[in-house]
Amino acid sequence: MSEAAVRLDNVSKVFPVPLRRRVNVALRDLNLEIAPGEVYGLLGPNGSGKSTTLKIIVGLVAPTRGRVTIFGRENSVVATRRDIGFLPENAYFHKFLSGEETLRFHAKLGGVPAGGIASRANELLETVGLTHARHARLGTYSKGMLQRIGLAQALIHKPKLLVLDEPTAALDPAGSHDIQNLITSLKREGATVLLSSHLLTQVQEVCDRVGILHRGKLLRQGRLGDLLGVANQTELVLENAPAELLAEIEREIEASGARLIARRQPQSSLEQFFLNVTGQPDE
Amino acid sequence: MSAALTRIFAIARITFIEMARLRVFYVLVLFALALVLGSSFLARISFQQELQVTEDIALGAVNFFLSLLAILITAQLLPRDMEDRVIYSVLAKPVTRFEYMLGKFLGVVALLSVSAIAMSLLCVAIIHLREQTAIRETMAQMAQSTPADRAAALRGVYEAGAMNRLSAALAAALAKGIILAALTLCVSSFATSSVFTISAMAMIYLVGNLESVARDYWLHQQVPSVLARAFLAVVTFVFPDLQAFNLTDQLFAGAVLSSDLLLRLAGLAAVYTASYLLIAMAFFSQREL
Ligand SMILES: Nc1ncnc2c1ncn2[C@@H]1O[C@H](COP(=O)(O)OP(=O)(O)OP(=O)(O)O)[C@@H](O)[C@H]1O
Ligand SMILES: [Mg+2]
Repeated sequence: MSEAAVRLDNVSKVFPVPLRRRVNVALRDLNLEIAPGEVYGLLGPNGSGKSTTLKIIVGLVAPTRGRVTIFGRENSVVATRRDIGFLPENAYFHKFLSGEETLRFHAKLGGVPAGGIASRANELLETVGLTHARHARLGTYSKGMLQRIGLAQALIHKPKLLVLDEPTAALDPAGSHDIQNLITSLKREGATVLLSSHLLTQVQEVCDRVGILHRGKLLRQGRLGDLLGVANQTELVLENAPAELLAEIEREIEASGARLIARRQPQSSLEQFFLNVTGQPDE
Repeated sequence: MSAALTRIFAIARITFIEMARLRVFYVLVLFALALVLGSSFLARISFQQELQVTEDIALGAVNFFLSLLAILITAQLLPRDMEDRVIYSVLAKPVTRFEYMLGKFLGVVALLSVSAIAMSLLCVAIIHLREQTAIRETMAQMAQSTPADRAAALRGVYEAGAMNRLSAALAAALAKGIILAALTLCVSSFATSSVFTISAMAMIYLVGNLESVARDYWLHQQVPSVLARAFLAVVTFVFPDLQAFNLTDQLFAGAVLSSDLLLRLAGLAAVYTASYLLIAMAFFSQREL
């Protein structure tokens, strides 16, 4: 069996509450294992401990108890971070730097060889759609643009594991669609992705497996198909079906003893409609 | 090793750029430059004293503004990075907290050095101009005197100008700024706000400038016990003896600035700076982000 990309053994995190005797338990005995190449979605209400879990995995926060390994290595070793790309939630970055300067800076930190920094920065500006704003200072960026720069800096050193805290928060529909595609193509290239999100539809579209956190406990986890599939039902969507065909199908269904539960016209989603309208060229 | 250096210098460079783009930096430096410029107008007594008073004001301005700059800018480094969550994306890269702190500190040192050089150049230029004027005036006044008298008068003018002592004093001012920056970083490694850091540093600055007087008084008044000496050592460490780096007084007393004294000052500065940085890193490595 190959080594798990991420492995948490009985991880707990307790935050002391200043000036009180009480403590705030953010995580309780969390066990989690993510296989290489998997896309895992961490869900849960506000304050359930998603961000804390991700920060512990990246090594920014030390767990009170328990052990974290990344590709088999203890994550307290700084070198393991060569394999990790992290997008913090609501990141702002240095306001006084331009997008390009920010990426070059993070490329150096990530160990991109000096000769490859410029081309890698250009490539990622292109990927996240910020080539036009490369020289503008981040102080002038919109929330979504900052999110895109954040994603670019997480990817700059080609990490094997991507940890994304709410990657599509603040993005417009086209942007979050782009990110879904990006995640899918990263997965195809063999990257492991761990993300947290409140946008369930999106999680459903990109993730192989999800886990649901609630008050620091992992309540449920599993493959999406297993968790959500309704075992004894089947959906057919037909195009250009003549009325006779439909009538015949219904007769057949009745004859076979099965039951037709619903018959409806699928609607295009608001998202699809929005993308069609805004996707048209301006000029 | 070289990868670590790359990361440290990348952080230092970004810190430098970030601070150099801050408005407070320009305001402070411009103000200091204006004061240095104005020093020659503020000092119109007799030409020998005028030279000295000009130096006094200019050096005082450089000293004060370098210290102020060191404290104000360093106090903001960590709180800004934490607030903007920059620290998360930086430390999520293969960067140790040690490299991060060292990079930040070197960025401040670079900025202080650049400011010190800018102020010093102006200082030296102004003093040089004053010197030339003084020489011309002296020669005009002493047109009838013997050559020996005139040579003596010239020496007097150069004495008052004392360029090498001036540069020593400027270097000492920079050293003081660097010590203050290290100490500020140390305080902000456990402080929860930059207001706290700045207030604490203001107190340390005041005490640090006065303590040598109190210490001398105490040591001379009574035979110090071991306990008293230990206490004094702690106080001297927490409040670095900043007065030792104010060479302006020595400059006027005409004391010889021996290489011995300069070496001792450099050593003192290195020990203070290294200790404060180590303590800062010890606190910061334990800190919950
Ligand atoms: N630095 C900290 N100090 C004290 N308590 C903290 C700290 N960070 C997080 N917590 C607590 O830990 C718990 C989990 O917080 P966390 O940020 O992980 O939630 P989350 O699931 O990411 O929520 P959201 O959906 O709002 O982003 C909360 O109760 C929070 O108050
Ligand atoms: Mg969160």
